[in-house]
Amino acid sequence: MPPNNAGTAESTPAIDLAAYRAELNAWLDANHERLAPRYDPPGTIDDQVAQMQRVKSILFEAGWMQRGWPERVGGSGGPPMLRTELGAALAARDLADPGLFSLIEVLAPTLIDFAPPELAADAVPRLLSGAELWCQGFSEPDSGSDLASLRCRAAPEGGNADTATNWIINGQKVWTSLAQFSDRCVLLTRTGPADSRHRGITAFFVDMDSPGITVAPLEMLNGVLEFAEVFFEDVVVPAERMLGELNGGWAVAMDILPYERSSCFWQRIAFLYGRLQRLVELAPDGDRFAEIVGEAYIQLHALRARSRATQHRLAATGTIGAETSIDKVLVATAEQTIYDAVRRLLPGVIEIDGSASGELWRNEYLYSRASTIYGGTAEVQRNIIARRLLDLGSEG
Amino acid sequence: MIEASERAAMLESVRGAIASAGDDVGTALAEVGWLEMLDAEPDDAIEIVFSAIGAANATASVLDDVVVSALGREPRADLAVVLPSFASWQPPGRIEAPEVAGQGLATARANGAAEVLVVCGTASEPSLVGLPSSAISVESARGVDPSAAVRVVRVHGSASNPAPVDPGAWSAAVGRGRRAVAYEIAGACRAMLDLARNHALERVQFDRPIARFQAVRHRLAEALVAVESLEAALAAARDVPTAETAALAKAVAGRSAHTVARHCQQVLGGIGFTTEHAFHRYLKRTIALEGVFGSADEIVVDVGRRLLSERRVPTLVEL
Repeated sequence: MPPNNAGTAESTPAIDLAAYRAELNAWLDANHERLAPRYDPPGTIDDQVAQMQRVKSILFEAGWMQRGWPERVGGSGGPPMLRTELGAALAARDLADPGLFSLIEVLAPTLIDFAPPELAADAVPRLLSGAELWCQGFSEPDSGSDLASLRCRAAPEGGNADTATNWIINGQKVWTSLAQFSDRCVLLTRTGPADSRHRGITAFFVDMDSPGITVAPLEMLNGVLEFAEVFFEDVVVPAERMLGELNGGWAVAMDILPYERSSCFWQRIAFLYGRLQRLVELAPDGDRFAEIVGEAYIQLHALRARSRATQHRLAATGTIGAETSIDKVLVATAEQTIYDAVRRLLPGVIEIDGSASGELWRNEYLYSRASTIYGGTAEVQRNIIARRLLDLGSEG
Repeated sequence: MIEASERAAMLESVRGAIASAGDDVGTALAEVGWLEMLDAEPDDAIEIVFSAIGAANATASVLDDVVVSALGREPRADLAVVLPSFASWQPPGRIEAPEVAGQGLATARANGAAEVLVVCGTASEPSLVGLPSSAISVESARGVDPSAAVRVVRVHGSASNPAPVDPGAWSAAVGRGRRAVAYEIAGACRAMLDLARNHALERVQFDRPIARFQAVRHRLAEALVAVESLEAALAAARDVPTAETAALAKAVAGRSAHTVARHCQQVLGGIGFTTEHAFHRYLKRTIALEGVFGSADEIVVDVGRRLLSERRVPTLVEL
């Protein structure tokens, strides 16, 4: 943990979360018309991104987006759970896609914890207000689960890392969500020897309009162009855009875990409750269906109970770690169970329904197949559980 | 809610009492203040005692005390209660004046207790009768669990003065009973996982401990995920003590026990199929407990029916 951790550094006076939730929901009710999507969901990825940015700007103007963020980056302070509640409320109301919206939680804390203070103070408000979108350049074609093997290289201009005013980046990233819409990228690069693994990685905050960057969107199996390949060819990045220490990029990568595994998951869970709600509104009666719905519900409940405990532990101790691999397995499993339930309860909808509603279920059903892959595969989580939580020693 | 240090002390004394009790765990628990704990801090008492019983595969008729106290009666060592039938959570008795009849489950306490309470009627209109233990006949003490922690009993007595019971008290008794049983299952699940983990670290095949094989590691990891999701559901049921959260915790207990037992037994290999190894006792206990206060299958269908009829999916717990 860096000393100025974004989750805990600012004063976090005790706050009545229930009262906050009530106030937030009353405001969202009152402003529903202004916030609601202007298209028939699911819409295209362009629709979704525009909707999210529009919602962020309205919420920023009303002061909601700033809640739970440190004042030194334009926030209004308070515990990070305030942001979690906001993201969950938006997800539950289908006002913003939780996968896209909760990217804030894995990007802004990185800047707050590792960027020079002026840079963080300048940049974070633009992310929160919807003025900008950022992406996260971690994965590469040959570095998926094995992130420490990444090869996208950053070299000091002129050869001396201590005196260089610029760094030159060459290489490729992949699965970069929203890269084609993004203004900046939190990028992990190789700065040590090729075999230096996690010891030779450095993070940079890169402007996506820099000369030499090419973005090639990738079509997912649900037809959506959410992620992209990003190519870097002699891209010049100023030295003051380095995040954290030279060769300290692994700490930057690991720092997102507490946010990803708490707030992001809670938003995803809120979204899944919303989808199960929509399913029971449409599902036929009958005990066979009751069993399928009930099974999905108990899994979702156990996940919610687990995630709640995780977040309270994070709030109390300022840190969470390997034990959140359990949360990750539960999230992935529950998501697939719910969409499997959709497929069983609404026969023909995912398969052959051409309506907007069919399109939405089909799109999300197909996307849910990836929940055991993204954010660390189910197998990697089980490896971590075995090694770190069950203390089974090394493998092989 | 008690202090962490007090809780740790309580846990230690309960574990110690169970470990040194021999056959009479009930008396040992009474000596360390089980009934006083149940009266003063019921949530802590239930969590600590039932987890410890599950972990030790001990047999004690303390579930009676939990149900009796939730029904608003003073629990005591010679007061037993008839539990709902296997997989059910309806009151076990019915009054056909002047007689009371019924069928349900009971712990060993029902034999020889001074009084046995039987809740009759329906969940929405329950009433309570106290019968002598002669009115309770054990229909079967033979089942999967060799310690016969729960038996099938038949009730046949006369109903002098049935007392009306607040439906809320019956619901509370079911909720607390479910949580108690689910804690016992959670304790047993932890114990099964410990046994399998130790075996995997000690058992050498192909010149290495089998814990080094990923297939084995992933089974144990799955078991841990199942145990911890049950513990989370129990913590939520404690923090938000409603009929719904207790029902879901009991359902998760059934699903988790199945997952844990399946993976741990596979990891244990041949020795796990013998009575020489302790595993079988935990497996059998969790199978027997699955039917107490409703099985996972019955609860899942019940919950699903309610979601479909109300067309509403409540979140139950908040941050």
